[in-house]
Amino acid sequence: MMNQYLETLDIFRGISENPYEYGKSIKEVAGKPVIGYFCTYAPEELIHAAGALPFRILGTTGAIERAESHLQSYCCALVRGGLEDALTGRLGFLDGAVFPHTCDSIQRLSDIWRLNAGFGIHIDAVLPVKLNAPSAHKYMADVLHKAVRDLEHALGKTITEEAIAASVSVYNRMRRSLLSLYSMIDRNPGVMAPDAMYHILRAVMVMEREDAASRLEALVRVLEENAAPAEKSDRKRILLAGGICSHPDICRILHESGADVVSDDLCTGLRYADGLIDETERPVEALAKRNLGRMVCPAKHLSVTARGENLFAEVTRKRVDGVIFLQLKFCDPHAFDYPYLKDRLHRENVASMLLEIDQQPPPEGQLRTRFETFVEML
Amino acid sequence: MDTGTGNITAGIDIGSITAKAVLLRNGEIAGTCVRFTGYNAKNAGRAVFDELLKEAGIAKEHVSVVVSTGYGRKAVDFADKAITEITCHGAGAWFMDPEVRFVIDVGGQDSKVMRLDENGKVVDFAMNDKCAAGTGRFLEVMARAMEADLDDFGVLSLSGEPARISSICTVFAESEVISLIAAGASRENIVSGIHEAAASRISAMAKRVGVAVPVMMTGGVAKNRGMIVALENKLGVSLIVSSYAQVNGALGAALLASRMG
Repeated sequence: MMNQYLETLDIFRGISENPYEYGKSIKEVAGKPVIGYFCTYAPEELIHAAGALPFRILGTTGAIERAESHLQSYCCALVRGGLEDALTGRLGFLDGAVFPHTCDSIQRLSDIWRLNAGFGIHIDAVLPVKLNAPSAHKYMADVLHKAVRDLEHALGKTITEEAIAASVSVYNRMRRSLLSLYSMIDRNPGVMAPDAMYHILRAVMVMEREDAASRLEALVRVLEENAAPAEKSDRKRILLAGGICSHPDICRILHESGADVVSDDLCTGLRYADGLIDETERPVEALAKRNLGRMVCPAKHLSVTARGENLFAEVTRKRVDGVIFLQLKFCDPHAFDYPYLKDRLHRENVASMLLEIDQQPPPEGQLRTRFETFVEML
Repeated sequence: MDTGTGNITAGIDIGSITAKAVLLRNGEIAGTCVRFTGYNAKNAGRAVFDELLKEAGIAKEHVSVVVSTGYGRKAVDFADKAITEITCHGAGAWFMDPEVRFVIDVGGQDSKVMRLDENGKVVDFAMNDKCAAGTGRFLEVMARAMEADLDDFGVLSLSGEPARISSICTVFAESEVISLIAAGASRENIVSGIHEAAASRISAMAKRVGVAVPVMMTGGVAKNRGMIVALENKLGVSLIVSSYAQVNGALGAALLASRMG
């Protein structure tokens, strides 16, 4: 059992640590178009239905130099790093990218990218911002229908409703397994290596989705059949909240400090997995519905209190001892939400700490001191 | 030779510049010791402990529990437990004055602020993680640029009107100071401006966590009178400084050790 678990995890971890190599191999070996995207509101089920690989871009691991001449230094590392890799050719295997309408920086990046990155395919998906408006569903569905036409035009092929339905089914398989993994780490935080969940999530966002779905199902099966019951422990249960978890290693350091991540409110986390698509409805309409009903991100508006209520509900559901806000430096939407979310938790006596992250992980010594203090505090 | 009667515990705080040790016997301070850390945190921990025991005349075997803290806490291999300096500074401040609800600890390498509950337990904290501005090292670099002795540096600042230093980076602030010298600004005014710049970094961090009174300042920089005054002005509250400010982390560690025994 251990072998199968470790082998599967190694595959996910390998792809998470070296996503561009993987993207390149899909392009070269499978001869498939690869379409980049920056956020979980991108219509990736449609990209998949068009026979292309949706490829999540998560910033760069190199130095940011060329992007500096196009973007202010107060743009987040995700935006600057993605542009850097496009300009330097590290993302040369992409055929293009889809930009959903989310935060200001992503929208401006779309223009700069279109004018400077030199990819053939460039699609904007101007999604509604107010998801609770009466017209939101029709608006969302219209935007997705337009995305279908844009993709058809760009890739020179027809996207049938059957193909979209088939993609929906693959995504549901993948998300069901991800949700099962979340349930497992809730029941037994030690069921996988501390950094496993976020490597898996980063990997499935770039992988061939059928392959990702099958491997996830196999992993869930192996863990369900063989996982030892959770040992009683006084380790603290942590929820990570914020944008992206670009350094899964943070979870290892947290683990060594006496706490385990049992849930999250992250873009490279539960917000990706949350919300299955209704397979009994027409697929584009069902996709629109999922986009409106899934865990909301701060660049979208569901209600004044939706994010706080959702966060507190998850804290209660998962018996969370403390929340760590992982805030990407210069990420306005998350920074604006932080004081209200912190207050919401504070009112319920839920402790939280803020950790600002950048392109590079924070120095490990300082990080340990902060995590250990937080655990001592709980 | 002291026979070591009573419950004796020790706290050892390995900071970036100095290593501190405190002995507690039956809830009272029985000795303190400070020495430079040097490059080897492990040796510094042993040396400061040995020196403390020798000075206090207490045998090692009479110390029931040792708790280490500070950035080098894991290097103290003879400690029974390692606890972070933030938790320890909270405990140390509570030991000195149980009314204290907020601690500003400015050390050589970083600065930290923490809010405490009535038991001295940390309920919220922040730590500067950006740069050296607002740390003891910042003041050291500036004292060198001003050819001032570190011990007189704070007092010197009290007699000046703060010159404006806008850079938040230590290296750039130093070049700004050099420009001020070239422009003929008085030494006192520049030194006063340096203290104000460091204080504004620390007070911004304190305000983010939410200052609760009374406030205590701890850490090596609490020996600098100029920083105390600059911080009091920025925060609009007076700061309590104990005579054990520099060893406060080690004191907290010794106190937490006594609760473990």
